[in-house]
Amino acid sequence: MNLIESYLAKAADLDTVSAGMDISCKVGYVAAHDVTAPIAIRQFREIGVDKVFDPKRVLLIVDHIYPASSEKARDSVWIMDDFAREFGIPIYKKGEGVIHQIMYEKHRAAPGELVVIADSHTCTCGGYGAIGIGVGSTEAAAAMATGRLDLEVPAVVQVYLTGKLKENVFGKDFILYLGEIFGTDYLTDKGLLITGPGIECFSVAERMTICNMGTELGSMITLFGTETKENEVEEIREIDLSTLNPKIAKPFSPANVCDVADIAGLPITQVVVGSCTNGRINDMEQVALALKGRQVHPNVNMLVVPASKDVLNAMEEKGWCKIIREANATVLNPGCGPCFGAHEGIISNRDVVVSTTNRNFPGRMGANKGQIYLASPATAAASAIAGKITVPGTDSL
Amino acid sequence: MEVIKGRVFVLGDDVDTDQILPGYAMAEPFDQLGKYAMAGAPGLDFLNRVQPGDIIVAGRNFGCGSSREQAPIALKMAGVGLVVAAGFARIFRRNAINIGLPVYVAEIADVLKDGDIIEVDMVKGTVRYAEGQVTAKPLSENVLKTLDYGGLIPRVRAELGISQ
Repeated sequence: MNLIESYLAKAADLDTVSAGMDISCKVGYVAAHDVTAPIAIRQFREIGVDKVFDPKRVLLIVDHIYPASSEKARDSVWIMDDFAREFGIPIYKKGEGVIHQIMYEKHRAAPGELVVIADSHTCTCGGYGAIGIGVGSTEAAAAMATGRLDLEVPAVVQVYLTGKLKENVFGKDFILYLGEIFGTDYLTDKGLLITGPGIECFSVAERMTICNMGTELGSMITLFGTETKENEVEEIREIDLSTLNPKIAKPFSPANVCDVADIAGLPITQVVVGSCTNGRINDMEQVALALKGRQVHPNVNMLVVPASKDVLNAMEEKGWCKIIREANATVLNPGCGPCFGAHEGIISNRDVVVSTTNRNFPGRMGANKGQIYLASPATAAASAIAGKITVPGTDSL
Repeated sequence: MEVIKGRVFVLGDDVDTDQILPGYAMAEPFDQLGKYAMAGAPGLDFLNRVQPGDIIVAGRNFGCGSSREQAPIALKMAGVGLVVAAGFARIFRRNAINIGLPVYVAEIADVLKDGDIIEVDMVKGTVRYAEGQVTAKPLSENVLKTLDYGGLIPRVRAELGISQ
């Protein structure tokens, strides 16, 4: 068995599993946020059980729309609040941060443990060794009641990494590159296992960025393994990290990827750094390094969204918030920010955005013809200063 | 449930959840979601054209993106009876089945146009249209069982022994 299969076998209490088997797994954590929780709660109540499977292992987190941008958004919070009180489960409702970051900081699953969240970016926790499976509200409701999740053991594609990254290349560039080679559906229903000596290039935070976008490639589970190559997998791809350049995803697909250099010079109007993909301390450090003593281009709005209060606290302690403000950028409250087009930076058809978020579908951040380019924080910050898409490390002072 | 006949509505590849149910509509009350079906693709004029029982036929990777269950719920509320696509994103596919909206994998979008009639047998694995038919993999027993219950929640209730 490969690492994904070993973990799934353990969760299913089986000696062995193989691709294609239907199994029932024990779940470590179940969570939902303000977009998915109201329907999950509705479905949970429909089941008709009087308790959740383990009140310490079921959580609700308000991250998508905080503070409320409408009465309806506020009503969603009340639905969650009532449920949390009634069933005695933790709720984060004061803008503590994005669900995947809160899970890492406050409710971290052990390696191999199953994390089931009603959110597609649950795969983020593969960066710290847990098995993250994104589900919808109904499946989350069933897991809240039963503590179990049924799934089909995925065939596993292993990406084996060697070499070292160039200085201006980051985890984000690597996962965009995987989008370039795999496209959006080659990995559908499969497991993506990342191994090899090259994984040492990536901190846990960078690994979370990489796993976060596994869902953009269609994968069911994305997981970092060890430096050792695994043999019991469906397919192995070897990648020499030293060959990678900074990457960028053009509208309107996260897999529509090229080198940043290929489109350098394109004028932009908004930059967003943050989200569950790239809102951690290391990401904010790239922004602060780039903006220190400089100004964001007059044509550009730059929005910086820490993934959590802990990240924001670190930014303040290190003086980065001041650097960002003095560069004429805006630090928003921790959370999902404008990533999904409901508040805090909605774009019009005239906008061209460089964003460190994970999706650039039509209308994702507002207007349907608004253009979103996905890139690393370093590329985003360099582009914000220049007012045009810029390869990081090449912009002159 | 196993055989569904209807008028088709043809869409392309990579129809994402932001097109099916855009972010601005995610906080809408449950019973209002049908009003936003395909609102993220305004050019389609979907709500004015869709009729109860219509079948969406699409290309690869239908439902990619978000886990928002509002997306299949909106389609179901708007009257869509079945989605047939060359491929589905995993979470969308499971969400649809879990709320009792059948989804079926078959490559047929290229030979159909809006308004054509098809008949889909998800147990035998056939999609028939005026000029012929294509074969595809039958739905698994597990999926058929969930659909027969009308979705995951009634199935879980039955499995937990909770009576009506």
